[in-house]
Order: sequence, then C-alpha cells, then structure tokens
Amino acid sequence: MLLPDRSTYNEFAPDGFTARPYWSAVIESLQNIGPDELARRWERAERRIRENGVTYNVYTDPQGVNRPLAIDPIPLLIPPDEWRVIEAGITQRAHLLNLLLGDIYGARQLVQNGDIPAALLFANPAFLRPLTGVAPPQRGHLHLIGVDLARSPDGRWWVLADRTQSPSGTGYALQNRTIVADVLPEAFGAANVRRLASFFRAWREALLGLAHCDHPRAVLLTPGPYNETYFEHSYLARYLGLTLAEGSDLTVRDRRAYLKTVEGLQPVHVILRRVDDSFCDPMELRHDSFLGVAGLVDAVHAGTVVVVNALGSGVIETAAIMPFLPGLAEKLLGEALKLPSVATWWCGQDYALDWVLNHLDRVVVKPAFPLRGMEPVFGAGLSQVEKRRVGEQIRSRPYEYVAQEQVNLSTAPVWDQGRLYPRSMVLRTYVLNTSAGWIAMPGGLVRVSEADGQVVSMQRGGRSKDAWVLWDGPVDTFSMLRPRNQPVQLERTTADLPSRAADNLFWLGRYAERSESIARLLRCLMTRVRRANHTELACLFRLHGCLGSPHSTLPKDRPASARDLEDELVSLMSDVERPDSLASNLAEAHRVGGNVRERLSSDMSRLVVDLAESARTEDYMLFVEYSAVLNGCLELLSAFSGMERENITRGSGWLFLSLGRRLERAMYSVRHLRELTSGLDEQSWPVLEYILEVADSSMTYRSRYFTTLQPIAVLDVLMADENNPRSLNFQMAHLADLHRRLPRHDPADQQAIQHAVTLLRGLDLEKLEFPLPGGGLPAGYSDGQSQIDRALGSIQELLPSWADNISLMYFDHAHTYPISIGG
Amino acid sequence: MTYRIVHKTTYKYRVPVSVGNHIAYLTPRTLAHHTCTSHELLVTPSPSGVSERLDYFGNPVTFFTIREPHDELRVEARSRVVIDDCPAIWPEHSQPWEEVARSLPADRSPEGLEAYQFVFESPRVKPGAEFRKYALPSFSPARPLTEALLDLTGRIYKDFRFDSKATNVRTPPEEVLRHGRGVCQDFAHLQVACLRSLGLPARYVSGYLRTYPPPGRARLVGADASHAWVSVYCPGAGWLDVDPTNNLVPFQGHVTLSWGRDYGDVSPVRGVIQGGREHRVEVGVDMEPD
Repeated sequence: MLLPDRSTYNEFAPDGFTARPYWSAVIESLQNIGPDELARRWERAERRIRENGVTYNVYTDPQGVNRPLAIDPIPLLIPPDEWRVIEAGITQRAHLLNLLLGDIYGARQLVQNGDIPAALLFANPAFLRPLTGVAPPQRGHLHLIGVDLARSPDGRWWVLADRTQSPSGTGYALQNRTIVADVLPEAFGAANVRRLASFFRAWREALLGLAHCDHPRAVLLTPGPYNETYFEHSYLARYLGLTLAEGSDLTVRDRRAYLKTVEGLQPVHVILRRVDDSFCDPMELRHDSFLGVAGLVDAVHAGTVVVVNALGSGVIETAAIMPFLPGLAEKLLGEALKLPSVATWWCGQDYALDWVLNHLDRVVVKPAFPLRGMEPVFGAGLSQVEKRRVGEQIRSRPYEYVAQEQVNLSTAPVWDQGRLYPRSMVLRTYVLNTSAGWIAMPGGLVRVSEADGQVVSMQRGGRSKDAWVLWDGPVDTFSMLRPRNQPVQLERTTADLPSRAADNLFWLGRYAERSESIARLLRCLMTRVRRANHTELACLFRLHGCLGSPHSTLPKDRPASARDLEDELVSLMSDVERPDSLASNLAEAHRVGGNVRERLSSDMSRLVVDLAESARTEDYMLFVEYSAVLNGCLELLSAFSGMERENITRGSGWLFLSLGRRLERAMYSVRHLRELTSGLDEQSWPVLEYILEVADSSMTYRSRYFTTLQPIAVLDVLMADENNPRSLNFQMAHLADLHRRLPRHDPADQQAIQHAVTLLRGLDLEKLEFPLPGGGLPAGYSDGQSQIDRALGSIQELLPSWADNISLMYFDHAHTYPISIGG
Repeated sequence: MTYRIVHKTTYKYRVPVSVGNHIAYLTPRTLAHHTCTSHELLVTPSPSGVSERLDYFGNPVTFFTIREPHDELRVEARSRVVIDDCPAIWPEHSQPWEEVARSLPADRSPEGLEAYQFVFESPRVKPGAEFRKYALPSFSPARPLTEALLDLTGRIYKDFRFDSKATNVRTPPEEVLRHGRGVCQDFAHLQVACLRSLGLPARYVSGYLRTYPPPGRARLVGADASHAWVSVYCPGAGWLDVDPTNNLVPFQGHVTLSWGRDYGDVSPVRGVIQGGREHRVEVGVDMEPD
C-alpha cells in the first residue's frame, strides 16, 4: 500500500485518495462523464489545440518552433477563502513593488537611507540608467505583474518569483480556460467558477487609459514569431484589440513613435511590450538589439508614448530584492508583508554570505541577475570539492549570487489515460494596475512538472493547467465578445495594417498561387512522362521549359531523356533545397502565413499548416503515386483560395493577399501563352492540350470547341475571355481593380496596369491572322501572332517591375533593418 | 586658458540612408575649473528635430532625427572652453587604497553613492583576476591611493605601446592587456578595469587633448583627435584624473566632454540608421588656444 507523502502538500487529496471537500462538485461531474467520454472529449480538444496553433516554442527542442502547448484537462481548484488570502497578498505585493520602482528610478531615497543596498542597483544590469528621472506612466511603472506562487507542506502559499517587466502567460491562461471549460462544461457550471473576461476588459480599459489623448492607438510589441510565447502575443493582441507589432513595424521620428502601415505612418500612444527591457531601444539601451525601436527611450522621455511595463521595471525581477521586502512593506505601506517570499539570501550582505557558505547543502544557488546567465546549482547534490569551488566562486563576487531554500512544491492531479497522478506545480498569478486600484486575475496559469521532478518550467517541457477560483457569491459572466450593458458602436473600418503584415499577406498570396501553378504543371507532366511517345515527350519538355527554372536538373551537355525528366520532376516536387520546388514554395507559404497568423481565420491558419506537409513524398513511394499526393495538395490549395474569397472581409489585408495571387497567376499565364505565340508547328500540337490542363480550363474549352484544338481558340479561352477566372485578361482586370482600391496608390502604377488591360482587350482574335498547322500561312511569324506575342512580351516585362513598385510603396520601410553606428 | 575646439565627424554611406536617429555627446561639461562658454552643433543634412537633455551621469546629450535621404552625414561641434589658471591640486595625502575599497560600500553620502557605482562591471569593462594581478604591484599594502594610482598610470604608459592599427572601438580590455598595444580608449578601459578589480571606483572620461606641433612646424588643423582618460574617486579629495596614454595628470591641456562607466556610455556620435549598409567614418578635431 502507498503511504501518503507528508513532505508535500497534495492539492487534491491529503492522503492521496480522499478528495478535499471543495473538489466534490468537480469530482462528481468527472465521474458522471466517465474516463472513456473524457478521453474522447480530450482527444477532440487536443486536436483543436493543434489546429488553432496554440504553441509554446521551445528553443532547445529541434522541432521546437510551433510545438503544440501541452495542457492538462483537470483544473487546479482554489476555494474562496484561500483565494482571498492569495488576492490580498499579491495585490499588496504589486502595490509595494510599484512604489519601490518609483523610488529606484526617481528620488532613490531608499538607497540613500540604506533600506536597500546600493549594490542591488549598481551591480544589476537590469538597472537602466537612461530611464532614471523619467516621469513614469500614470499609476506607476507597473501595469501588470506576474507573481509565481508555490505551496509548502504546511499549506501556506509562498512567492517564488516576481515577473515585473512583461509577464507571460495571461494568454495561455485564457486559452486554457476556453478549452477546459469546453471539455468540462458540467463541472464548470456546477463549481461556480470566477470568470476571466472582466479582467481582460479591465486590462484593455487600463491600457487605453494610459494615453494622454482621446483616440489612442495601442500596440502590442512582440519580439516576433521566433519567440517562445509568440502564439500568446498574437492571441492577446486579437483579444485585447491591439495591433501586433514587431520592433521593425515601429519607428521613432522627432521624439514620437509611429506604426508603419500601408496607409503611411500612424502615431502610437501606448505600447504593451513583450520585449525585454534592455532590447527595446538599440540607441540608448542594448546597441546590438534588433527587436527594439531606435529612439524609444527618448520618446518616453518626451512623454509622447507610454510603454508598459515601464522600461527598466526588470530591475526588481532579481530574487536579491526579496530579503528586503518585509522591511519595505513596513516602511512604505505601514503593513506586514502578507505573502512571504521563499527564503532568500543575497550574498552581497556579509551575514547572508556567511550563512550561505555554511549551509550550501540546504540551498539552491542562482545568479542574482539572471541576465548574466548561469544554471542554478543545487547545493545538496554537490561533492566537497564542488562545494569548495562554488564557495570560491561566490566569494569572489558575492553580490552576483542569491541562494534560495529549496521548496517542496505541492502536487496537483494530472490526468493521464484515465488516471490521476500527483505532479509538482507552480501557480502564476497576475495583478493589474487600474484606475479602480489593483485587480487580480481570478485564477492564473498553473504549470506542472512532466514527471516526478521538482523543476517546473515551460521551457523544460512541462504542462500547463487551468486554475479555477471557486466562488461563494455570484460570478460575473461578462464576455468580451458580447458586452451586455453598453450600446455597441457599429464599425466598418478595420484596424491598422502594418506594412510588414501586408508584405507577408502579399507573399502568402504569391506563394500559394505559385505552389498551385507548379503543382498543376507537375501533375500534367507526371501523369504523362512514362507513356509519352517521342513527339509528346518533346512537348512535355516544352511545357517544362515554361518554368525557365535556373535550378533544373536536366542535363545541358546531351539531349535529355524521359528518365531525366522524371528525375527533374521529382526534384521540382520535393527538393526542399531548391527554391523553386513545390515543397519550398509551400514551406515559404507556411512561414509567411505564420508571421501573420493573427490575421488569418483559424481555418485558414490550419490549412497553411497542413499545406506545408502536403507535398511530402516518402522514400517507399512509387513515381506513379506522386500524382495522388499532388491531388491532395491541390485540393488543399483550392480550399485555401476558396477561403480567401469567402472567409475574409475585403479590408486592405485581403487586397494584398489577392493582389499577390493575381499577380503570380498572371505571370505564369503569360509564360504559357507565349509558348503558343512563339511558334507552334504541327508536332507541338499536344502543348495546347497540356496548357489548357495546367490552366484548369480543359472543361471550358471542351464545352465550347469539343475536341478541335486550335491555337486561336485556346488563346481566346486562356487570354481574352474575361469570364474565365484563369484567363490572363481576368487577372489583369482584377489587378487593376485591386490596385485602385489600395490606400494612396500610385497613379502611374494604376495607369501602367490599365494600359496593359486596354492593350489586351484591343487584340481582336477574330480579325487577327493566326497560322494553322500546314495551313496557308507559313509556320513561324504571321502578323497576328507576332502582334499578340509583342503584347504578351510587354506584359511579361511589366509585371515584375510593377510588383517591385508595390513593394517599394507599401513594404519598403518595413524591410530596412536598423543599423547601429558609432557605438 | 581658453580653447576653441572644432570636432568634425563625417559618415559616408554606400547606399542612401532614409532615416537616422542620432545621439551626440559633443557638448563639453562645465566643472569647477572648466567652463563651456559657447557651443554649437551643425548637422548636415539638417535634422527635422533636435532635443537636448542631461543624461544619467550629468553629461549634456543632443538627440536629432534626420528624415531626408542622405548618403553623407556631417556633424560639426564648435565649442569654447575656459579652464581656470588654478585648477584642482593633486592631494599630498590620501587614504590607503584598501581603506577606500573597504569603506565605500557603506558610504551613503551622495558623493559616496555616486562613486560606488563605478566599482562594478559595465558592458565593456568586466573586472577580473588578470587585471587585479597586473595592478597589484602598484597597490602594495597600505600604499596611499594617489601614489599607487600614479604608479599604475606610469606602468601602463611604459608597458603598452600606442598603436592605432592594433585595436578598434570594440576591442575588449582583456585583449589589450594580452597584446600590450592600443590607443587612448584602450588604455583608459584597461586602467578602469584594473582599478575596479581592486574594488576602487573608476570612470571613463571622454574629451580632448591639446597637442603641440614638432618644433619649427606649423600646427596642423584637424590633426588632433578626441581623447580618453580615467578619473578615480578619492574620498576627501574628490575625483582625480590621470592620463595613462601620456603618463600625466591632466592640467590645463585636457578638455572634458563627458564621463561614464565606459566608452559605450559616452561615444561622441552614435545612431541607428535605416538603409546605409556599409559606412565609413572620418573624424577630425582641432583644438586651438584662443
């Protein structure tokens, strides 16, 4: 029989079996659901998590980028009275830390009076001197803080760490709530759980309230898609109604911050940052940062923009501050500190240093200033020699180290294949600074260890859980999506479109269309190459030649064989090293799509993810199976273009996406059409059929002309017919229309594209003479043929430079990365 | 003594720069015996906005944004500085150096706190055992701080060779110590590292030095350069400057621009540009007695 483990606190059942009373409602409903049904529900939820792209990127994991977030379905329950204790403790702490920061960057009385040692600032790389003396945001440096809590065996809550610069996890907490409440609606209803939505409403209001003007523009500053919590940044930006911006989307000119949008520079008044302090401004902070905005510190000095949490807030993220908090609470608040910090010794104090050196086996030694980077050392596991070495290291620069008591973390139940297992846990709570005072998020983000270990970290691959605060009063069921009491202001205008986002959407359209063109070409060639006779093979080579690929694997020193073409097609389909391959284009579509995932519907995001894998071939596959793979890929591509038409509002984001698609389709179309106008002899007749198929217009053609293939008729279908969404005229007319609707479009570019449309429309195919095979006119160039070819030639020349002009006009300022000089 | 100083910095870019944000530390500080009586900053192309403030260390800083495309940036600072004829005197007595290092952490006087921060590591100067080892022969037990300081200054002057090709602005002091060569910035960083490794407060000073032409030759305009030296806090006496590049105590020939923990805090002109890619920089300083 298992003996209950008395050295840790079990959140669920003190003896490991009998649940604490406040778990009864949830347990009962779990029993009613039953393990099989729960497993089924959870499977659905996990699929949704993957599809929604809820990820936590782990740097050390080779497949780390975009790893789905591991969530546990069983929430941590916190009874009302316990929550009141936690709430009082964390709001007091937030208030205290806010006052402390105000003094550190202001009068610095506390240092002068000896309440905190000067070395805590001077040795601390997170103390940002350029931010001293700046007026802090209204209500102080801290806007939102995260407090990590752990529970000791006696049931008391302790603070493990304070996250004071840009705490992560609120978005994950919200996402967990959405998922878990959905999986366990019965339990959620029965347990009278406090809701999260009103916290987020207060957050949005508090943020906008920080601005000094009436219609503020607020952005969420993210380090970008490679950051481990990027999912959360895009999720929060959407939920709070902020524009998601990377450093390169912003610029400071003459002490004011602006967002670079397709409509030009737009002033920014509030920045909710998820970029670390010292990376926010390469000019006055870290000169090597690519994540920040040059001049932001000066704009903050000028008071034109509010950054929260205020730059420099990271200075008190050090555990070294913890031993001083009880004294500071007495001094600044006249109260005792309500929630104790885990026992901490900062070695910069003589008595603390002595104690730590004498009790190494009872503590974990950590760098006092995390920016210095050092793994924690667990004293208990050290040999005598190692202890001496660590002791010397500490003694050489004592103020660089803190030692903390090792906490026996409490355990929460984790569900695994129908059973509950106790796992060590840490609860991250959040406190928001609002005009109505400090507000705690009712709940938080629970992180649990993957196995029995004590180290709990998302970076190390643990799981997260929802936290339910059980309430004894009525709960506010406000939802961010359905405000009840306020009249809704109808809005048709869409939010800002940053130039970088427009750029990514433009290229998403281009890569998707490019992939489709290549896939159709490949399918046409692959199904024929093995059974082609000599003449047909020559035509297949001609069709392949339309690509004009500089990466072709076909031999140049001898005539290429059918076998060579087969190899080339396989390479064109799946060689990821080859920039023009289908696989590469799909990967690029996935990459640029990931950069703007907050702007795509979840269905579209999911398709982009699926597309990336859709052209994958396996070693065991036979050549004849490849066309089936291509069919699958084309189906997804069609679904994607369908959504592009049906599932996106016609804002400027859509304009750029469609522009990219039309542009790319026009480019491929011109190349194919010129194959017809550059001279077709009788032997090349099959090319007509192939080109119709590649343009997905065989059916249209057949329904009009049955099986008689004539170049002039093919040209009519693929070039002139504006009702055929695959025809060149259709693309050109749409390009002109889309471009006209772009904000501040360049009239010269509009004129150029209009001119091309007119040119094409002016070609009267009925009147133009066009050669027939073996017909009256000699093969080669007739007047009509060369006239069309010239028109197509001019369009072929126009399109790339026209596309460049779009880039220059709308995206260019997003491309130039800042360079630091003179530092 | 009055000096007119013209300090020209020119950046030439390979491709045009569309926007540039810049910081200049080109205004001389005003000190007890050292007054900046006039200063102007000429920037071409002309900036769309200019602002000034004092930085954390009390240095005057100028910020400017240039919004017109340009492939050359010229920044010209013209300053006039008056140095009193009776500047600070090198103290005859001072505390033993260990005493200074020991007492400072507990000294909460404004001067003491101001000085204490210069004991710690900074981005470009990381104190360490090798600097301590190099410095110790000058810092024998109980030796007065001033005496030890002059000794160290003299040793750096003797042991290191001035070589403008050996290092660049990013060369760490560890490398300078190993290779024994460098320029004024390197020697200043090295001495700061040595002093901090002993727990002594030392700051980096950026400024100008009066130079003399070879006998019989005319003074070459623009041949001077910006200079760097070291300042050390000596309780009771205040901050004492030493110049390891020339083995002297600055006296009337040195004009102070700004000071900080290291070069990174006070580099004379820096900025962040959009575009530009590769660039060349030319600097010319002309310091002339008025």
